[in-house]
Amino acid sequence: MKTRKIISLLLLFVAIPAVLLIGIVLFNDGKYQIISMIVVILACIPFFLSFEKRRPDAREILVIAVMSAISVAGRAAFAWVPAFKPVTAFTAITGFKLGPEAGFLTGAVSAIASNILFGQGPWTPFQMFTWGILGYIAGLLGKTKWMDTKIGLILYGIFAGVLFSFIMDIWTVMSYDGAFSWARYIAAAGTALPFTITYALSNVVFLLLLTKPIGDKLERIKKKYGIMQPNS
Amino acid sequence: MKSLHQYHPIVIFFYFFVVIGLTMFYMHPVLLGISFLGAVLLSLFIQRKKFLSSLKWLLPFMFIAAIINPLITHNGEIILLYVNYQPITLEAIVYGFSMSVMLLSVVFWFGSFNEIMTSDKFLYLFGRISPAVALLISLTMRLIPLFFLQIKKITNAQRTIGMDPTTGSLWHRIKSAATIISILISWALENAIETADSMKARGYGLKNRSTFSLFKFDRADGIVTTVITCLFFVALISSYFGWNYFAYYPTFSTIELNMTTWIVFISYFALIMLPIVIELLEVLKWRSLKLNN
Amino acid sequence: MAIIEIEQLEFTYPEGLKPILQEIDLQIEKGEFVVLCGTSGCGKSTLLKHLKRELTPHGQKSGSIRFNGIELEQLSQREAASEIGFVLQNPENQIVTDKVWHELSFGLENLGLDTMSIRRRVAEMASFFGIQNWFRKNTTDLSGGQKQLLNLASIMVMQPKVLILDEPTSQLDPIAASEFIATLSKLNKELGLTIILVEHRLEEVYPLADRVIIMDNGKIISNGTPVEAAVNLRQLDAEHPMLLGLPTPIRVHHYFKLDQQVPLTIRDGSQWLSHHFKEDSKAILPTVASTNEVVLSVKDLWFRYNKTDEDVVRGLEFELEKGDFLTILGGNGTGKSTTLQLISGLMTPHRGKVTVFGKTLKNYKNSDLYNGVIAMLPQDPTTLLVEKTVQLEFSTLTSDQTLIDSIVHLLQIEHLLAQHPYDLSGGEQQKVALGKVLLKQPRLLILDEPTKGLDAQSKQILASILTQLREKGTTILMVTHDVEFSAEHASKCAMFFDGQIVSIDSPREFYCGNHFYTTAANRMCRHLFNDVITTNQLIERCAVQKREVVI
Repeated sequence: MKTRKIISLLLLFVAIPAVLLIGIVLFNDGKYQIISMIVVILACIPFFLSFEKRRPDAREILVIAVMSAISVAGRAAFAWVPAFKPVTAFTAITGFKLGPEAGFLTGAVSAIASNILFGQGPWTPFQMFTWGILGYIAGLLGKTKWMDTKIGLILYGIFAGVLFSFIMDIWTVMSYDGAFSWARYIAAAGTALPFTITYALSNVVFLLLLTKPIGDKLERIKKKYGIMQPNS
Repeated sequence: MKSLHQYHPIVIFFYFFVVIGLTMFYMHPVLLGISFLGAVLLSLFIQRKKFLSSLKWLLPFMFIAAIINPLITHNGEIILLYVNYQPITLEAIVYGFSMSVMLLSVVFWFGSFNEIMTSDKFLYLFGRISPAVALLISLTMRLIPLFFLQIKKITNAQRTIGMDPTTGSLWHRIKSAATIISILISWALENAIETADSMKARGYGLKNRSTFSLFKFDRADGIVTTVITCLFFVALISSYFGWNYFAYYPTFSTIELNMTTWIVFISYFALIMLPIVIELLEVLKWRSLKLNN
Repeated sequence: MAIIEIEQLEFTYPEGLKPILQEIDLQIEKGEFVVLCGTSGCGKSTLLKHLKRELTPHGQKSGSIRFNGIELEQLSQREAASEIGFVLQNPENQIVTDKVWHELSFGLENLGLDTMSIRRRVAEMASFFGIQNWFRKNTTDLSGGQKQLLNLASIMVMQPKVLILDEPTSQLDPIAASEFIATLSKLNKELGLTIILVEHRLEEVYPLADRVIIMDNGKIISNGTPVEAAVNLRQLDAEHPMLLGLPTPIRVHHYFKLDQQVPLTIRDGSQWLSHHFKEDSKAILPTVASTNEVVLSVKDLWFRYNKTDEDVVRGLEFELEKGDFLTILGGNGTGKSTTLQLISGLMTPHRGKVTVFGKTLKNYKNSDLYNGVIAMLPQDPTTLLVEKTVQLEFSTLTSDQTLIDSIVHLLQIEHLLAQHPYDLSGGEQQKVALGKVLLKQPRLLILDEPTKGLDAQSKQILASILTQLREKGTTILMVTHDVEFSAEHASKCAMFFDGQIVSIDSPREFYCGNHFYTTAANRMCRHLFNDVITTNQLIERCAVQKREVVI
């Protein structure tokens, strides 16, 4: 418990800034695409580590695997509509009902598993991190009452779509230029606007449609089999 | 020696990590050219069909990316013409073109990587970092095809009671699709409990879990790893001293040809061509075996 | 020394009113092959789960269970996991990983064995089970039988001292089931492994068992050698529903009680018959007159999945008349399920046509076809279950409460209405799914292997529901592996092979004409009576002879 916290803190406050610093000092001509990739991977490690150290229960693992597999299946099922994907919604619903950690893992594992199927690329770490963080945030929000309201779900869906687009665009810009430039970023964000809107729209649609039925089913499983209860 | 597919996952990962990393790092025209050549040759060797069909959309995309750069960036000294009172420079054009070559190489390298790094190798590697997450991914990978099958069954069953997601009004279709997902999730979650029981019944959760794999690190793996490490080391040293540095702005630096740069180029060439040499040797070996037997 | 000793075990589920297990006293010796049986809900699965600590359900428990003289609770986690092996019912759900080799090594990884030992043990087991040919395959690509063998092998690599199996063959087709049972017998005989097996299909297992334990209402009511157990049960209650599940030779013997030598196998049974009864062949009467109202007509049907594939259905032709109950039998992968989908309009043939009630399928609108014409009960009833209660499953489909009431009454599921569909047993889930399908009031009902995994009693209930439907004029088409069910209840039987129906007859003509693909009763008595296909018919014929002798 303690060592895991220390490692996580070290990663967040020492390793990541160190990589950034080294990157800026050593490669002053800016190789941000490599640096950002390392940072994103480092950022995922504390989550994986805490999951590893906790030695999670088999049933907990299975529930997360089921939710990840369904979001990958969903991504494949909607392969014919660009950017209209249910992954974020499934990840968020898991987060709402099972907490931040489960949300992060569902998002990250969905990204890795779907890229095993569709091909890994430099985008894998970014997707892993983005979906993971969206699940994590959903987990934190799930502890409040906001996500029981339609407005809450709509706002979250839009926010998630924008954040996803924001991070993936940064990556596109940096992969092209090596360095980050605002002019190019705005140009990229402009061309990506239809995608951003589709992300947000699909999130809102899937969240409104699925949060209640899937949430109920997760609740039932939690209760019936005592999964992720504080005392089990 | 053995064919690329048979190398230990760690060796494969190490190689692609080094090559893709260096490819993203180097903007030197000669090094870019070497990596591009290697990426194309390897792709033709191990994933010809996929590679050729991907060119259809990759090439136009990269061409557009290359010509957009001079429209945004106006750095550089050799001005060719003015568009909207903004200078279009040769440096920006060449830089845009180099950038596209670099991105294409990375995409091609990743294509070959995906071909060789099959799911079991990938999971083995991930298991070295985080066994619990690797198991989670492995379970997910097992469930995905199962879910596709079940979706088919559910869809058929639902169609016969009037919930057909392929006909009717849009609202009816959405409702039917949501019903199918809902049924799938119930089924998946309830059955997952039995899978969890099967894991526990086989001792999952005991301390000191080990990881088993069919992969063995043998002599060939050792040799190749050493070669990659040495060549990588040369690349790092040359980066440190800036021997492989090339600037596009404000104007092009000159490409020097001396003893040092020759070493840099040749060692990089050797690194890039390593998998192709391995595959060629395999082809020759089998040809001679066929002749002898 | 006994390997398992149970003393005064009693158990109640958290919300249960009465104990599900009571006064269980049981000793199991090392190397014994024990078969545990009883009707659904008698507590046999709960008892099994108490023998495997990791699976023991939560609830109120008293009494003791000792493994090798040690209280189960005091066993180390490692011993508990490795020395007691447990195989569950559903082959699919037990598989954890995506590769066969990884599945085999999973348990050993959990025990923390090193690579060399795992490699060796896995190699040994893969060879014993004949897995080497599919060792590197994906687990998804295996057949049901292979999956269950893999599950068994993945337990056996952990070198358990006791193997516990909860209805391991209920989801398999008969051929795979026989193979699985044969493997169990080999493990018991060659390795001296102690086996405790819960089974519904006793025909094959019964003669193999050293001991049979029969449970009812949470208690052990009969415990002894297979013969003793059967005799005890009969003495206890001559009308006990479990008697229906016993192998045919025993049931016939039970009826006449002619001597002490109880036959267990078909071979012994047929010798026993020859000993006590004489040959009496009768001409098989021609099929009952037809109603002449054709409900379904299939003409020259051809189907393949892709243009380049081979045909799965090749020139299929048959007709169904009003009130018929046709069972289609045949091996796996011969195209039976595909045929059902073609007839129910889920897939379209590339040649030939299907006519339902005088109108070709093409001319039906989907909404008409599935409303009052055709309905199909899928093999997996959960593909139809979506709501939180059984009540909602019905009421979201129609607002006609009288219709719902009549169907609920027909299925006798009034007591289940408030429950969650996933809290029901497999047989109950199936009845709810059937109810949903019947709400559409089909005139042609199609069923895909509805008796899979059902015990003898549930099958009786299903049969009586189907009979009532037929009386109301519903025509039934059913694909099944269940020879006994088909012989007893169908009006016509068909053999499916190589994409077409090769023979179609009344059950009597059909089964008496077959040599291998026939019922146990027929195999047992075909040298004496040429027209007997069910156990009841056999008993009746024998009874007639006995009466003649007495007169």
